[in-house]
Amino acid sequence: MSRPGFVLEVDDRTPPLVVHEGEGFRLEHFPLGTRVIYPPESLPAVPDVDAAIQHALLNPEGADPLPALLRPGMRLTIAFDDLSLPLPPMRRPDIRQRVIEAVLSMAADAGVDDVELIAANALHRRMTAAEIRHIVGERVFRSFFDQGLLYNHDAEDHENLTHVGLTDNGEDVEINRRAAESDLLVYVNVNLVSMDGGHKSVPIGLASYKSLRHHHNAKTMVASHSFMDHERSHLHHSAWRMGRLLSDHLKIFQIETTLNNDVFPAPYDFLTKREWEWSIKDQASMLAARRGLAIAPPRVRHKMFHDLRAPYGLTGIHAGETEAVHDKTIAAVHRQQLVEVQGQSDVLVMGIPFLGPYNVNSTMNPILATCMGLGYFFNSYRGQPVVRRGGAVILYHPVKPDFNQLHHPSYVDFYDEVLAESTDPAVVEEKFEQQYALDPWYIHLYRTSHAYHGVHPFYMWYWAAHAMDHVDDVIWVGADRKAVQRLGFRAASTLTDALEMASGTVGPDPTISYLHSPPHLIADVH
Amino acid sequence: MSGSRQGLLRGGVDDVRAVSRGWRWGRRPLVPRSAEEFVLPTEQPVFPTDWSRSRPARMLREVVQKGGLEPVFRSQVRTSVEGLDVLARVEGPVIFAAHHASHLDTPLILLSLPDRWRRTTAVAAAADYFFDTWWRAVGSAMFFNTFPIERRGGAIATTPGELLAEGWSLVIFPEGTRSKDGWMGPFRMGAAWLAMEYGVPVIPVAHRGTFAAMPRGQRWPSPGRRQLAIRFGDPLHPSSGESAHEFASRVRGGVAILQDEDRTTWWDSRRRAAQRGTPDPSGPEIAAWRRLWAQSESPAATDATRRRAWRRTS
Repeated sequence: MSRPGFVLEVDDRTPPLVVHEGEGFRLEHFPLGTRVIYPPESLPAVPDVDAAIQHALLNPEGADPLPALLRPGMRLTIAFDDLSLPLPPMRRPDIRQRVIEAVLSMAADAGVDDVELIAANALHRRMTAAEIRHIVGERVFRSFFDQGLLYNHDAEDHENLTHVGLTDNGEDVEINRRAAESDLLVYVNVNLVSMDGGHKSVPIGLASYKSLRHHHNAKTMVASHSFMDHERSHLHHSAWRMGRLLSDHLKIFQIETTLNNDVFPAPYDFLTKREWEWSIKDQASMLAARRGLAIAPPRVRHKMFHDLRAPYGLTGIHAGETEAVHDKTIAAVHRQQLVEVQGQSDVLVMGIPFLGPYNVNSTMNPILATCMGLGYFFNSYRGQPVVRRGGAVILYHPVKPDFNQLHHPSYVDFYDEVLAESTDPAVVEEKFEQQYALDPWYIHLYRTSHAYHGVHPFYMWYWAAHAMDHVDDVIWVGADRKAVQRLGFRAASTLTDALEMASGTVGPDPTISYLHSPPHLIADVH
Repeated sequence: MSGSRQGLLRGGVDDVRAVSRGWRWGRRPLVPRSAEEFVLPTEQPVFPTDWSRSRPARMLREVVQKGGLEPVFRSQVRTSVEGLDVLARVEGPVIFAAHHASHLDTPLILLSLPDRWRRTTAVAAAADYFFDTWWRAVGSAMFFNTFPIERRGGAIATTPGELLAEGWSLVIFPEGTRSKDGWMGPFRMGAAWLAMEYGVPVIPVAHRGTFAAMPRGQRWPSPGRRQLAIRFGDPLHPSSGESAHEFASRVRGGVAILQDEDRTTWWDSRRRAAQRGTPDPSGPEIAAWRRLWAQSESPAATDATRRRAWRRTS
C-alpha cells in the first residue's frame, strides 16, 4: 500500500532529515515546528506494461485506434522526449522504447514504409548515439539510426522547418518540417512532472527559436503561477494556442506515460524513505554513502551519481487526442505527486540534487542550480507558492562555478558577461537575448556538437523569474560565495546562519517549510 | 594529508554520532508525533516463550532474579510490602491485576511475592513493545518470565489461558499501557474475562511511588533510593451474572480502595468505600502539570529503623 504525502511537523522525536546538495547530501536538524512536505510513497507499477501499451493504442481517447490510422504509402513520424526526461534516466528498457516498439510493430503490420523518428530536443543539446540508443533500445536504434531515419531535431535547420501559421495572439508556430508534413505524427512522452506533455510536447519539443521566444520569456514566466499547473501557466496557455493551431493542420496521436516515485535504486533507496522509518540497513547504507562520497575524488563522485538509473515503474499510459489524453495524464501525475499543504510559510527550504533536466551526463553549473531551485522546485505548487510573497528561500547546493564546455558553452559567457551586468530577467532579456540567440558560433556548436543553444541559459534564468519576483531573499547554504554573489544571491555556511541572515526579511521567528524532494512532489497549497 | 585524513575520520565519527542519537541506537525508535497516523501496522514476529518456563530456564531465572535483579533493585529503591497474607488464603493460580505507572511495577510485584509464588508467576507483556526484537523478547522472558499479549490484534505463541490452565499465575496490567501522568486509566476487560473463563480469582494490587521513581521516558530509577509501596488486596471472584465489563470495573475499584488504604488506613478506606467515597484513581480534573506534580512525590518512608549515615544528636 502506498501512503499519501503529508506534512510533518518537526518535533523532539524527529531525526535529522536528508537534504540534497548537488553530488551529495547532508543530514540537517531543522528547527522545531518546521513543516516538512513529504511526497506520496511510490504507487504500485502497472504489472503488465506491454498489455497496458496495447490497450492504450487500441483504445485511445478521442481518436481512432492506432492501427486504423496506419496505411501503406503514408508518411509516419514518431517524435519522442529527449534525455531531459525522466530524471534520473530510467533503467533499461526505457518506457519510450517499449511504446515506440509497439507503434512500429503496428506500422509494420500495416505496411508503412516511410517512417522517421525524431528526438524532440528543441534547443537542448543533440543527444549522442549512445544516449539515443538508451532511450529507444537496440532494435529501433539498429533499424533506423545508421539509415539517418532516427535523429535529433535541429531547430536551426531552416530548410527543414515549416512555418505553420500564427495563433490568434500572433505567435509564430514553426516546427520540424518532416513532422509538419507527415500524415501522422505520433508523439511518445514521459510525463515526469505536471508541466510536461499536452501541447507542450509537439509545439515546443519540435519548434524553432522563432516559435519558442513567444512563451520562453521573462514576462510569461513571471505570470505563470505556476508552470507546473498548465491551467494557470501563461507558458502553457501559449503552447495550447499553438497546439490547437497545429492540430488543424496535422494529425497528432499523443501517447503519454506516467511514472511512479521509484527514483533511487538500491542501495540509495533510503533516500526515498521517511527518515524515522530507516532500518539499520538503511542507516548503514546512508553512513556508507556519506563516507564514500567524502573520500571519493570529484570525478568518482560525479560518476557515482550520474551512473544511477532509476527503477521507475509505469503508473499509466494514455493515447489519442492530445487534450483528452493530457487530462488523464495530469490526474495520474497528481495521484503520485500531490500533497495537501495548509497555508504559506515565511521561509521555504529546498535541497538541490545532483541532477536537473539539462545536466544529464553533465555538470550542474550555477545557472542550472538556480533553475532547479527557483525554477522547478519553487514552482512545484498548485494554488499558491509554499512561501509567502516577500518571504525567503533557502537552498542547498555547492554552486561551484564549474561549466561543461562541451554542453554549456553559452552558459560560461552568460555567467561571465550577462550576470556581471544584471541579474534581472527582464533586463537580461532586453539587453542580451538576441545577441546570444543569433550568435553564429553558438548556433554552429548547437547544430554540429553537443551544445545547448546559445539562448538556453536565458531560458533557465527566466524559469527562475517567478520566484525572484515573489520572494525578497534567496540564501544558499554551503555554496561558493563568489558564485552566489554573481547570481545576485547570498551564501551562508549553515541553516542557522541562513535563518539569521533571513531574519531581516522574515523576522527572527519565521515559519519554515522544507520541500523534501526528490522524489517529485507538487504542494497543493490552500 | 594527515589533516585531511583526520577530517575524514572526524566527519565519520560525527556522522555515526548524529545517526546514533537521531535514530536512538539501543533504544526504541520514536515516530514524530505528526507522522504517527501514517505509520503502517507492522506484522509482529511471533516469539515463542515456552522455553522460558522450562526447568533449566526457571533455574537460571532464579539465579538471575535473586542474584542479579533483586540486589540491583534493592540498591536503587526502598520498598514496603503489605497484604501478602491474602496469598495464604488462596490456592494458585491467580491473576494479579495492577495499575501500571512505570517499568518498576513488574520487578516490584515479582520481588514482593513470596518465592513460591514468584517462581510460578508469569507476566503479560505487550507483544509490540517487549517482543518486537529477538533480544528484547529473550531478555524480558528470561528476567521476568514474560509472555506476549497483543494490544493491536495479531498472532501470539502462547495464550494466557494456556498458562492459567498449566497452573501459572499471571501478572496483568489491565490498563494495557503505562500511565502518562501516574494516575490510573480505565481497565480493559482481558483480566476480568480470563478470570471468569478459567475460574481463577483476581488479586488487586496497588502500588505507589513507581511513577515518581521512574516515570515514562526514564531508563533508570531516580537517585536517592526512592520509596515504593505495594499492597495486595483480598481476592475478587466474579459474581454470577456479572459481565466482564462489570467485573473489570470492580477490579479497578478494588485497586483504588487499596491505594486509598495505603495512603490512609484500612479502616478509613473501608468506610469511604462503603459510602462510595473512595478517591477517584483517575485523579482530579486539574492542570496537567498539577497532576504530574502530585504523582512525582514519593510516598513517605515507613521504615522507622532506617539507618542514617550520621546519627542525630538532638
